[in-house]
Amino acid sequence: MFEKFFPYLLAGVSVGGQYALIAVGYTMVYGILRLINFAHGDIFTAAGFFMVYIAATMPLYIAVPLVIILTVLLGFTVERVAYKPLRTAPRMSIMISAIGVSYLLQNLMWYITGGLAKQYPVLPWIGDTITLGNTSTKVVTIVTPILTIALVVALVMLIQRTKIGMAMRAVSKDFETAQLMGIKINSVISTTFIIGSFLAAVGSMLYFSNYATVTPTIGAMPGLKAFVAAVFGGIGSVPGAVIGAFIIGIAENIIKALGYTTFSDAFTFALLIVILLVKPTGLFGEKISEKV
Amino acid sequence: MKKSTKNFINLVLLALLFVAVWLIERFAGASSMLVTVLKKGAIYAVIAVSMNLLNGFTGLFSLGQAGFMLVGAYTYAVLTIPVAKRVAVYQMYAGGAIHFQLPWIVGILLAGVMAALLAALIGLPVLRLKSDYLAIATLGFAEIIRAIIQYEKLGPITNGSLLLKTYPTFSSVLFPFAAAAICIGIIVLLINSTYGRAFKAIRDDEIAAEAMGINLFRHKQMAFVISSFFAGVGGALLAMYQGTLQANAFKSAMTYEILLIVVIGGMGSVTGSVLASFLFITASEWWLRFLDSEQFIGSFQVPLLRSGFRMVVFSIVIMVVVLFFRKGIMGDREFDIEGIAKWCRRRFGKGGAKA
Amino acid sequence: MSENVLHVENITMQFGGVVAINNLSMEINKGEIVALIGPNGAGKTTAFNCITGVYEPTNGLVSFNGEVIVRNHPSGKMKKLYAGENADKYPEKPVSLTPDRITHLGIARTFQNIRLFKSQTVFDNVLIAKHLRRTSNVFTATFRLNMKEEKRMRAETLELLKIVGLEGVKDELATSLPYGQQRRLEIARALATQPTLLLLDEPAAGMNPQETEELGEFIKEIKDRFNLTVFLIEHHMNLVMGISDRIYVIDFGKQIAEGTPAEIQDNPAVIAAYLGVDEEEGVQ
Repeated sequence: MFEKFFPYLLAGVSVGGQYALIAVGYTMVYGILRLINFAHGDIFTAAGFFMVYIAATMPLYIAVPLVIILTVLLGFTVERVAYKPLRTAPRMSIMISAIGVSYLLQNLMWYITGGLAKQYPVLPWIGDTITLGNTSTKVVTIVTPILTIALVVALVMLIQRTKIGMAMRAVSKDFETAQLMGIKINSVISTTFIIGSFLAAVGSMLYFSNYATVTPTIGAMPGLKAFVAAVFGGIGSVPGAVIGAFIIGIAENIIKALGYTTFSDAFTFALLIVILLVKPTGLFGEKISEKV
Repeated sequence: MKKSTKNFINLVLLALLFVAVWLIERFAGASSMLVTVLKKGAIYAVIAVSMNLLNGFTGLFSLGQAGFMLVGAYTYAVLTIPVAKRVAVYQMYAGGAIHFQLPWIVGILLAGVMAALLAALIGLPVLRLKSDYLAIATLGFAEIIRAIIQYEKLGPITNGSLLLKTYPTFSSVLFPFAAAAICIGIIVLLINSTYGRAFKAIRDDEIAAEAMGINLFRHKQMAFVISSFFAGVGGALLAMYQGTLQANAFKSAMTYEILLIVVIGGMGSVTGSVLASFLFITASEWWLRFLDSEQFIGSFQVPLLRSGFRMVVFSIVIMVVVLFFRKGIMGDREFDIEGIAKWCRRRFGKGGAKA
Repeated sequence: MSENVLHVENITMQFGGVVAINNLSMEINKGEIVALIGPNGAGKTTAFNCITGVYEPTNGLVSFNGEVIVRNHPSGKMKKLYAGENADKYPEKPVSLTPDRITHLGIARTFQNIRLFKSQTVFDNVLIAKHLRRTSNVFTATFRLNMKEEKRMRAETLELLKIVGLEGVKDELATSLPYGQQRRLEIARALATQPTLLLLDEPAAGMNPQETEELGEFIKEIKDRFNLTVFLIEHHMNLVMGISDRIYVIDFGKQIAEGTPAEIQDNPAVIAAYLGVDEEEGVQ
């Protein structure tokens, strides 16, 4: 029994860690802008393609930081170009803009790659295969949860202990008041997107080391799942998003182990709907009510 | 202008449109690009207007359209494949579990009914959610529907992830136009009825609408079910247009496309959605096709042009609309005889006739 | 004694640990104009929201024409948190009608922060409220099998607009009207639901003295014309004293006085609440 499930459990924890790194980007953006950043999954994909192209011509010790920088720049630009002009527009408009950006990024990536799946470079060490008991797996599977937790702890420290972290918390509590208190709203929002994109870039390196190929629409599904994880954990809460992501990653792989692979994606959404109905605020979320 | 005169002129315009379409088909040829685009555009118009009923007129940000289209398309195809041809279609499933064939018109109606029933079921939990949660939940349901339809154990009915084909299709462009005219006509009548006014009230201010005695849940449910009915019918028409059907094509990207059509046309404008549908289909399938192949001016090769460039240009145009022309082509106005008269009056001073 | 219309009994509304309304009881009788006054943040609008079903009060009972429309007792988490009185007085199954049900029974309201249907014309704003008393279903309405009813709705809407003096601007966008007219439009919209009890939340807010005086006359006029009972929240004391039969004063969610305008004007507790003096000082 354990023999059978162990590899799936391992894969679940690993995938959960990768979802977690994406989910943090969703939850932070939602916490501040109340926006489902539909383009976040595509930024994650773009990070994958950056690596494909850069690693082809440059050594890895340059490629890795460069990929991160480019991804961060992309996230930053998307916010400045597509979301900032709509700051005062109805929420529906920003959401539509996010969908538009997602559509644009996917089409752009399709154009550049010619629509073909690209082979992801094998990163040294984390791409190696190791054996745990009877299960052989890649190092990345073990590294992912550890790295994820380390990064998230660092992020939580940043949010709790630093000045910019305090500004973030203030903005997510009350956008207008924070603005009136002299918080530079735009730089807080930009920082949020930078952090989110940074984590997505790291997540993409781990994710694609596992899956080996990148296609223009590959990020859509992990993106949506990461969003569900964020909702599950209580949108706006970073630890919540991480816990949600691990639960979803593990559950999904257990479903695969049971032989219902077709429904592993459907499960995520079923979970989402159940959560929204039973406890819309998620595991750690706070309630927001409207004034009449 | 009196209301009856207005209606009469609008009907005349509609009749002229049909004559024009018929002439186009006569002289441009049934397989010409123009006719192809008109066919698909008319079908997309039904789908876009049905989505606008929900997103633009009732203010419910739902992203489940592709799921309801999928249900409609499959209902139609599964029920109308001729009995004799089922063995060939359901190769993997020994001819499938269904051994009868319904007439196409019944198939189309049932396509709508199935989608509507499903919407009624999904709506019970989902419609209690607020804006963006509703969006993500409906998106999720669409994905679940797709997974279920492709589930191999349902293969005897849905043919799993394999193609459905040989169901009845249409050949004349007049068919999708007539279907679109009926569907959109009914939606317009609904929007202008007392129920349509209630939908708009909910969109403008839920709390005030409820205080005026409008039962929020019941009216949202109604809009959701009716919108899904027409999405289902639209899905069936799309299946007819394509000739073959596979669940895999009905991804969230399809919903996004329809949403973008609605936005380009203007949230809350039926004619806007219709115009945008034709524009969208024509641009993506025809006018911008040249962007996808290498072009030479003399011996100079135009840079950037190769496969995929069309969609890039296209999505940039869409982003420009979303960012800078947020009201779309029509805003929430309508392109009818009254709208034209108003526009003329504004444009050319007070010379126009007084309404 | 005239017949009771609205009966509010021991209503307490607690948000988390904050008690917004504390054990409030009120009686409103047929044909009266009753005012609810109190300093800012006293809980007046919250009281309205409890009566109209927008909020579910933590404890207490509201009945309208003898029918219970709201009843609740602290339960769940609130059981421990509850800081009000009479926690065990309403053990029966809670009743909580939605706002549309309550409007259906005959209570209509306006809003403190005007809530008109922004994209609609003046005419349509009122016409929408007529939807409530429809007899058609979605099928008959879509296929225009209800023309008679539709005609009647439109005629009644026009009639109402004449009464409130907005007939001339009926095709304007509701939000393009000046403030005072928007408030009148909200009243017209509320009247279109054919209420017997009208709740007005600061109908004179933002009006100048002249407009306020006209509003007072207008409220009396519609009250007589439609056979209404009126319950209003208002800060303009001239208006309140001029038209009210009785006044309830609340502060910090608690009732501090009740009586005729003359009695309220001389009530030391009221003066203290409004001038912000310590209650004991005020009494001396």
